Amino acid sequence: MSLKPFNKLPELNTANVLLVENEERFQKKLADAIVLLENNVNVIVRLARSLPLPLENAESRPRIDLVVFIVHLNSEQSLLSAETSLKHLDSGYFLGKVCFLVTGARCGTLPYERLTSLKKMAATLNSPLLMTEDKTAEGVNTAAQRVLAVLRVAAGLVPMATGLYLSSLTRCTVPNDPDWQNQD
Amino acid sequence: MEARVSAITTPRNETAPHRRTKSYGFSRRSLGVELTSHFGCTPGQLTAVRIPTSRGIPKPRNLTEQVDPEHVALIVKKEWKLSYVTPLYQFRHTQLQSYSKQLASFLVAEKQQGVAVEVGQELGFKVVFTAALGLAETEDDAETVLIQIQSKSAFAAEGETAKVVWSGWLSCVSGDVEYLKALPPDFTCLPLFGTSGAESLTTLVMSWFERTFDCYFGPLGINSTNLEWLAALWTGCHSDTNIRYLKLAWTVPAQPPLDVSYTVHPQDAWELWDSIRQESGLRDTVDIEEVNCFIRGLESHFFRHFRIYLSAGTLTKVATSLGSAHKDGKIRIASSDMMTSVLALLTECALLKMPI
Amino acid sequence: MDDSAKQVLRKIIRRIPSNKLQNILSKWEHLSKKQFRSLEFTQAKWLLCDNLLSLCEENDLSMKHVTELEMIYRIENPAQGSWNVCQLIDPSEEAVTVDSLTFKDSFKAHLKHLISHVSVKMKKHEDNAIWIRIAWGDNFTQPNHLNPTYVVHHLQTPYVFVSGLTAKHKPFLHQALIPSTHYGGLKDVHLSGRCLTALRDLLMRQYKQAFPVKHPRLLQEKSPVPSHPNIETEHAKHTEKRLQMAAEAFGEGILPKLETAVYKLETRFRENGMPGRREEPFRGVVKFSSSNLLESLKNCVSSGMASAPVTPLLSSITQKGRNYFVITDKGPGVSHTQGRKI
Repeated sequence: MSLKPFNKLPELNTANVLLVENEERFQKKLADAIVLLENNVNVIVRLARSLPLPLENAESRPRIDLVVFIVHLNSEQSLLSAETSLKHLDSGYFLGKVCFLVTGARCGTLPYERLTSLKKMAATLNSPLLMTEDKTAEGVNTAAQRVLAVLRVAAGLVPMATGLYLSSLTRCTVPNDPDWQNQD
Repeated sequence: MEARVSAITTPRNETAPHRRTKSYGFSRRSLGVELTSHFGCTPGQLTAVRIPTSRGIPKPRNLTEQVDPEHVALIVKKEWKLSYVTPLYQFRHTQLQSYSKQLASFLVAEKQQGVAVEVGQELGFKVVFTAALGLAETEDDAETVLIQIQSKSAFAAEGETAKVVWSGWLSCVSGDVEYLKALPPDFTCLPLFGTSGAESLTTLVMSWFERTFDCYFGPLGINSTNLEWLAALWTGCHSDTNIRYLKLAWTVPAQPPLDVSYTVHPQDAWELWDSIRQESGLRDTVDIEEVNCFIRGLESHFFRHFRIYLSAGTLTKVATSLGSAHKDGKIRIASSDMMTSVLALLTECALLKMPI
Repeated sequence: MDDSAKQVLRKIIRRIPSNKLQNILSKWEHLSKKQFRSLEFTQAKWLLCDNLLSLCEENDLSMKHVTELEMIYRIENPAQGSWNVCQLIDPSEEAVTVDSLTFKDSFKAHLKHLISHVSVKMKKHEDNAIWIRIAWGDNFTQPNHLNPTYVVHHLQTPYVFVSGLTAKHKPFLHQALIPSTHYGGLKDVHLSGRCLTALRDLLMRQYKQAFPVKHPRLLQEKSPVPSHPNIETEHAKHTEKRLQMAAEAFGEGILPKLETAVYKLETRFRENGMPGRREEPFRGVVKFSSSNLLESLKNCVSSGMASAPVTPLLSSITQKGRNYFVITDKGPGVSHTQGRKI
């Protein structure tokens, strides 16, 4: 059963974000930073390892406004797990309610293919791809701020902006291949 | 892969450099169209170097027919630590003798200044620069240069062979042609640097090169994709030369870290590789898809028994009797048959690390 | 003091780290208080060694005393070499009543009967373990004290720990052990490691084990509770279950310290969607190594890098107390066979 974005009623002045990470490490630090940063709105953070989410919690789970996939580039497993989880998300989420967070993008010793395939995936799904640095407190805070910015829009708390509008500005783009240009 | 738009800009262009910042490529799980070419970016984001997704199978040949066997013997059977080096300014292959003398006097001068070098009774160093002709594959490749540092003992008798305390080589094999053609005329590109010997001597040699040729050295690692290529290429040689074993080592990030090493029987490894090759149609080239299939197969066989995801760890070392490669940039080539292909792969890695 | 004794003494002193040297020498009891005080332990080791040698010459010490020193050091630092474990099988009725003195005499007699030139030293340690040091010679040469074999046996148990034994001398040791302990045979348990106490704990199940229970109960290690009431974990139950399974397979708290586990695989290659489905086994050897192997494996399971339930291949390390396995296809699943018997 896939996660659906609009099958529950929203709560007043609340935003719910779901952090999905296979390693379950960074999400805790990020969650702590997020709840500490936001004062005006009640932010609920739910942590998961992968999708589909356990059925037992379906009743008590509120409406999820934003799903953030955390991918660590130093582990192939991280990427594979995120890909399989995507299949369990209702397509309604891909209209501005999904975001990708990547760590380790600056590391020169990792194979290039992982980041490029992740970028392609994000571009195809019209979702933003944010690079983060998870080892320092500053990096965690910055990531929390950016996630909160996207979350506020996705939860409808920012007037005149919707998730779909924001995603068209922030989505990941993949450049044209020069070979493609020659192949027509 | 035939029609190519020139993808390289270097600072030589007076106009502002094009931003070719993106690297995108072929993914075995790609959701979109499969591409046959793959561009990687150098860290400065100004140069795109082609990374082949398929490589030609090296034909077994006797390397000693085109390279002096003595030179080959200097490179094989030693473990080398790899670095990359930016193009050298005004490096002349004709002046190797003079470079030998310059480096020797530099080493002696540094030693007198108290820079830490080997403690011993060396009076001085004798440096030998040789050009190993024949390793270059294309006409754009510069010829490989071998460097040896021998120590002269105070008590050496006449004619006594000096002891080699350090050796190194600079090489460029099958470098990206467009990149090489785009270099300004006075620059020689020998991006791959291998060293074997005391760390202190290595730093001294590097600083001499940096001063003399205005270049820059940096550490070169071998990422897991390239390690997998090497594993597949070496396994493919089993039909000609017995590889005796195929050993793959991973590190899984548990607390404390867990090292897993999987040594496969050579015949079984070869049969698996061969069946993958047969299934995709025997061609002259090896695709990265086949390499992936091979390694994933081994990983899933492992998973079936131990239920541990090796993909959550990092591939650190690949070894056969033909050679071994470590992700920290250590390479050992045991046989001269595969030397050119291995050097070509490593040259590619080195070119991708060029700062601009 | 003859040359070979000096050589052995030098080797021992070289091996003992400087910070432990004073302690070991004080336990040795072959130097008078005055001589012991005359040694300066802050000197360079080779200087200290020379001084010590001259003191030994004064006291007219021989190889016998030197080997005592080595034994003291080895008993205090059992992790010096790697230990293999064997098990005595087919006990006779007298096996339980063997006492240390009888065992000592009987063992020495049997061994000397098999090899004329052998030097045996036995010592009983506090925890009822008998330590045996054997220097092997043969019919023509004197015992070689540079490469001794150490054997540790707890009398009331069937386990024997051996370190530094060559294949050549193995049959002699076994043929001396079997009659002196009143057992019928000796077999290899396929367990090896550096830490003697860890091996013993693993075999005798002296570490804290967790048993499967229906309802989750208080585990020593629990997943950390989220810090803020606004944070909720979806997979909390899954994490608990994984921790529980990891503890069941490997134990709780401080785990015995093993370094490696080796699996010789001879199963068929049967991966979906892959060519190469052959009938012959796909041979290979998998080696796991870590500074604390059980801890690493447990962490893999609890963090999800190994998917639960824990495969019997890994849990056999603790369940069966061994770390060398030969895996073949037997029946529908992947099962494992016992190791070779001696």
